[in-house]
Formats: sequence, structure tokens, C-alpha cells
Amino acid sequence: MLLAGGQGSRLKALTSKVAKPAVPFGGKYRIIDFPLSNCVNSGIDTVGVLTQYRPMELNAYLGTGQPWDLDRLDGGVHILPPYLVEHEQGSWYKGTANAIYQNISFLDQYDPEYVVVLSGDHIYKMDYSDMLARHKAVKAACTISVMEVPWEEAPRFGILNVDEDDMIYEFEEKPKKPKSNLASMGIYIFDWSKLRKYLIEDEADPNSSNDFGHDVIPTMLAAKETMAVFRFQGYWKDVGTIESLWDANMELLSPQSAIDPYDQEWPIYARVEARPPHFTGESAVVTHSLLTSGCEVYGTVENSVLFRSVIVEEGATVRYSILMPGAVVKKGAVVEYAIIAENSVIGEGAHVGSAPTGDESWGVAVVAQDLKVGAGAQVPAAAMVDKNVKGVKA
Amino acid sequence: MNNNLHGIIFAYHQNPDLRELVQIRSTSSIPYAGRYRLVDFSISNLVNAGVTDVGIVVYNSYQSLLDHVGSGKNWDLSRKHGGLRILPPFSFSDRFGQRYRGRMDALAGVRSYLKDIRQDYVLLTSGDLAANLPIDEIFHKHLKTGADITVVCGIPDRRADPRMNSYITLDAKDRVIDVVSSPVAAQGEVSLETYIISKTLLLDMVDRCAAHDIPSFTQGVLMPNLNRLNVYAYRFGGYAARVQSVTGYFQQSMDLLDPAVRTSLFHPDRPIRTKDTCNPSTYYGPDSRSVNSFVADGCIIEGTVINSILSRGVRVAKGAVVENCILMQKTCVAAGATLRYVITDKNVQVGQERMLMGHTTYPLVIAKDEVV
Repeated sequence: MLLAGGQGSRLKALTSKVAKPAVPFGGKYRIIDFPLSNCVNSGIDTVGVLTQYRPMELNAYLGTGQPWDLDRLDGGVHILPPYLVEHEQGSWYKGTANAIYQNISFLDQYDPEYVVVLSGDHIYKMDYSDMLARHKAVKAACTISVMEVPWEEAPRFGILNVDEDDMIYEFEEKPKKPKSNLASMGIYIFDWSKLRKYLIEDEADPNSSNDFGHDVIPTMLAAKETMAVFRFQGYWKDVGTIESLWDANMELLSPQSAIDPYDQEWPIYARVEARPPHFTGESAVVTHSLLTSGCEVYGTVENSVLFRSVIVEEGATVRYSILMPGAVVKKGAVVEYAIIAENSVIGEGAHVGSAPTGDESWGVAVVAQDLKVGAGAQVPAAAMVDKNVKGVKA
Repeated sequence: MNNNLHGIIFAYHQNPDLRELVQIRSTSSIPYAGRYRLVDFSISNLVNAGVTDVGIVVYNSYQSLLDHVGSGKNWDLSRKHGGLRILPPFSFSDRFGQRYRGRMDALAGVRSYLKDIRQDYVLLTSGDLAANLPIDEIFHKHLKTGADITVVCGIPDRRADPRMNSYITLDAKDRVIDVVSSPVAAQGEVSLETYIISKTLLLDMVDRCAAHDIPSFTQGVLMPNLNRLNVYAYRFGGYAARVQSVTGYFQQSMDLLDPAVRTSLFHPDRPIRTKDTCNPSTYYGPDSRSVNSFVADGCIIEGTVINSILSRGVRVAKGAVVENCILMQKTCVAAGATLRYVITDKNVQVGQERMLMGHTTYPLVIAKDEVV
């Protein structure tokens, strides 16, 4: 069960038209491709995707699930939006636990032994079958995937305190004085029969916020259920903010990156549009960058991630930036430390973003989708452009 | 939607002038333009015109083609009714030796399939033709002119060997008045050997040609009937390449570096679809250089690439130089190697510091899976 209803409000203008899991990532993907590909690569063939906020693009993207090999006769991908029930008050998903609760009938239809609950907005590669093996070996009611975080950062996370057998005895949400540095990654495996019972009880509790971390997990601990952690080692990133999204894209460029998109043992699947290969022109200079189908580069591209059908004209320079599908950088324009969303056009000689100054106020500049930044315009660092910017006459 | 048009793609050719490239495959499944196989153009053209039923006529060495087209789902041709059908020679008994001598032989070989075609019209085309044909428009013209047969013709490529082609002469109303096959010199328009004909006329012609033992469409259908039937031409002004020889393939690949050719072949309203492989983006390393090149996804380029076409998953290591080359899927060029005028087939590995050089008139071809 993949929770994909998040608005991702900290991604600001980038999620004004799409849900966070549908935000483009890493040249060819959307964020949801990572957990979805993990499911497929782990041998899971039935996936419910719980959508809510701005679901149109996400629904269209998932379609029948064919790119992930999830168009199955039995199982496959199911899109699960909140819905109204006759004589009852329907509502949006109140919390993560309520989202699963509202889909009990979906789960009952398949009546699985185990359910893995995932978040649709993290970038990582993980074999859930290893986690399931641990869940089975210790006969847990619930297994939570954790990773060690630096102690000084632990107060920002949901922390799990464990005994010498890595069994959980306490959960603390953002503890001031953490007793452990094992942070929950928001990936849970439950015995379905157990989870079903707790979800019904949780729903009946008027004081509950119907959230796994806040409510269900503490309740299960209090009831002395067997709760285990699964230690994950490797790359995992919450791309919930502009900075972390930009960072994660830049990390993908690093050959030592733990997310190796070229690893054929663990491919990341995505829905792709039919575009011809990319073209680098006579005057092109492309270094330490990712390019994909339909791109045409005649200018300079350094340390950047270009999505499908991006055009960088002659004399234009793109550095340390992310150019989403269909973005155009006109002649002589400079785009640096910026994210240009889908189909936006940076006019001739315009300048978007600037190199880090060490100043507190510095940040990555963002131009939202379908906008025009006029010729010669200046868009400063940390700007959040959500409407057209007028050109400046030379 | 052209629900009344059926597509037949001839994909049985294995042109010997393509040397190593057709050792293990038919001409139609030769990789072209980085991420495609030649047959992708014909299939996509038909699908883009709303054609729902497509038959692909094969003879042998078609495993590569089968792997590529699969159920046809990448072209939306995996359908409950109709869709894509691969047509091996199920009623053809090697009477004439090795393979089909021409299209009428091939059609006779699949006659039982033709009989069951649900549509009234059939478009016959060749799997070795790389072009973005507006089949919708061609079909409309066919119906409007009331032609019995419409021949699609293109602008002759003066680099092509006229003995490999048919040429047609037209009157002022685009009616075909003469057809020549394999002449010494090109004359008139070049036939792209793409035709629209009604199902009934086609079946009649298949039987007549079989009875008279005429294997070729040009000689058996066009030539004897120019006065009897209304044979009109559709003039296609865009880029069209028939892949027939290694030298031709090399030139036709290099044509892709011309933006006008790319615009013609990759018309945004008529996308060319292909088998979906899940390749990540192509990575360019810190010291890489890529100039005037057409590069598919999934490559890792750390060396220099000039005037070249790279298929998916190619590796060019540091210090390697690839100039005027066509590197097919998963070619690995190790550090310091130099390649000029080389065509490498799939999975070729070129070792460190190797020097390989062909010439524009004789590109060096390294066969599939070879290690240099």
C-alpha cells in the first residue's frame, strides 16, 4: 500500500499542479517510480496506490501499470482515492492509518498474509523481501524499516528504541534527548490480520489522529505486540523540500551515488514518452550531466539534470540546475542553481539563480511550470517564480 | 481513424550488401537512429494513421524481429481483435530455393491470412524504409482520386544504387505512366515501394502472379496494368531512407545529424514508437566531449564523441575517441581507444588503446558480440 496523497507543500510551486509523488526526478523518473520499482523488484505484484491531492496527473501516469509490469490479470496496480459511501459521511484520508482503514475492503479482497505500507515520496532502493524475511523470522506483528542517522539529527525524526535483539520497546516522535539514532523510514510490514484489528480500533478512537507513527504504532507497542526493526543501509532521501530535491538530483550525478540508475539488477521503471535520442550540437559542451530523449543542446551544460525534450540554445549556459520536461533556455541565457519546471521558457539573455554566497538567504531558484521568463530578466537566488516574468529591454 | 485500412509490412529481406549487420537478423530489425529498429518506422506510421491491424511478413532469421515487436503492445497493437500478427511462410514450400523472390511470392505464402483481412484496403510497405509517412493523408488521396493502386514515391537519393530501386514516371496529374525496375541510371521519382490497393484487387493479383509465376509486385502488378488500372502516385517530400547496403546505412545514419532530417523523421504529431527498455538517462562525465552527435539513453560517456550515432547503453571510457561512428546497443569502448568510420553491432567490446578505422566509402563493421 503506497501512500501517494501527499501535497508536498514544502515543494511550493512545484506541487501547485501535481501531487508530490508525481514530481519529476532524476532525468527520466517521477518520485513514485522508486517505491513502485522497489515493489516490483521485490516480487510484489499487487500494489494499491492511495491518492488524494491533485490525483489527475498521477492517475494518468500510473495508467494500467504497464511500465512497471503491473498490468496483471490478478493483482497489479490499483489506484485508491478516497470515496463517499451512501448514508455515511465520506472524507479525505484523515491520516496515514485512516487511508489504509478506508481501503480495508480492497485489502480483504486479496486477503494477504502481509501488508507493506510505503510512502510515495522517498528516493531509495530497497528489497522489501529481505525485510519480510526478518518479519517472518522473528514472528513480528509489525516490522519497521530504520536507518541510523547522525545523533545530532535524531531529534528531527521518529526514533525507535530497541533491545539487544533489535526488537522495539519504545517509539519517540522527534525526541529532544534521543535514546537511539534509529530513525523510522516510514516503511512498515504488518501481519494483515493484526493490522486490520488495530485499524478498526484506531478508527473508533475519537482522540486518535489516525496516523501510523502517532497512533497505531504506540498502541501496538502498548499492547505488547512483537515489533521488530529492519536495519536498512544505503541511500535513502526524503525529497520533501526544494533543497533536498535539488540535492538528491545532484547526488544522482555523482558516480559514487548509492542510487545507481545503471544497475540492471535493480532497474527503476518509468513511463516514457516516444522521443528520439538527444542531440548535442557543434558548439555543445556537456559535462557531468544527465541528458535524455528529445533534448537538444547547443550551449553549455554542466553539473545538471535535463529531462525529456529540454532545449539549451547556442550561447546559453546551464549549471547545477534541474530542467524538467520541455524546458527551454534561449540564446545567451544563464540558468544556475535553479529548478525550471515543465515547459517553462527562459528568455534570451535572462539570468536565473546564482552561485551560493554563503549567505543565509541564498537558495535554489525555482521557476514553476508553463511560465515565461522574459528576455534579459533577472531572477535572483531563492526566488520562487509562479507567474510570468517580464523581459527587460536591452 | 482508418479502420478500413490494413497494414502489411514486408520484413523478409536480408540484403547481402549489409554484410555483418544481417548475419543474425533481417534488414528490418537493424538498429537505426540510436534507439530504434528500422521496422519501428513502418509500424508507427501505420498506427499513427489509426490502422489497427498489421501483418509483418517474415521468412527466416526473424528471432531478432520477434524479440523486438513482441505482442505489439509498445505500438498499441496488442488487441483483442486484430492487432499485430507475425506472418512466417506458413504455406510456402521453398519451391524456389532459399526464400521469397519477391513480394508476390511472399503474399502467396500468406494467402490464407490475406483472405481473412477485415478491411477493404491494404497498405503494403517495406520494413527497411525509414520515413515518417503521413499514411492518413495518402489513404485519403487514394480514395479521393479513385485510384486502383497508389504508389508512394520520394525524391531520388543520388547516392543510392539505381539497380537496387524502382523508378516511376508520372504525368501532370500524378498518374503513373512508366515504371522501371533496377535501371542503370535513375529516372523520374523513386518508388518507396509502398502501395495502397483494395483487398479484392490484391487477392486477384496474388492469384494471377502465382499462376504466371511472377514473383515481383513491380513486374507482376504494376508494369502489365498501367494502361488497364488507375495507378496514381503520392509524392512524399520528406526524408526517406531504404537501407540496402553498409555504405548506404552509414550515410543514412549520418543524415540524422542534419536537423532537417530529424525534424522530418521525428514529426512531433506522428511519434515513432519502439520497444520500451528501462534505460536511465545518459551520463556525461567531467572530461567528456560530445559534439554533433545523436545519443540514446543509458550511455555513459567519459571520452570524446564527434559526428556519431550512439544506441542505448553504450560506454565510451576516458580518453577514447569516437568519430564518425555508429555504435549499437551496449558497445563498450575502453580507455584510449580510437574509432573512426566504424559501425559496431550490439555488445561489441573494443579494448584499451585499440585503433579501428574504416572510411566513408567502406565503414568498418564489427559483428555482434565480437571483442576487439
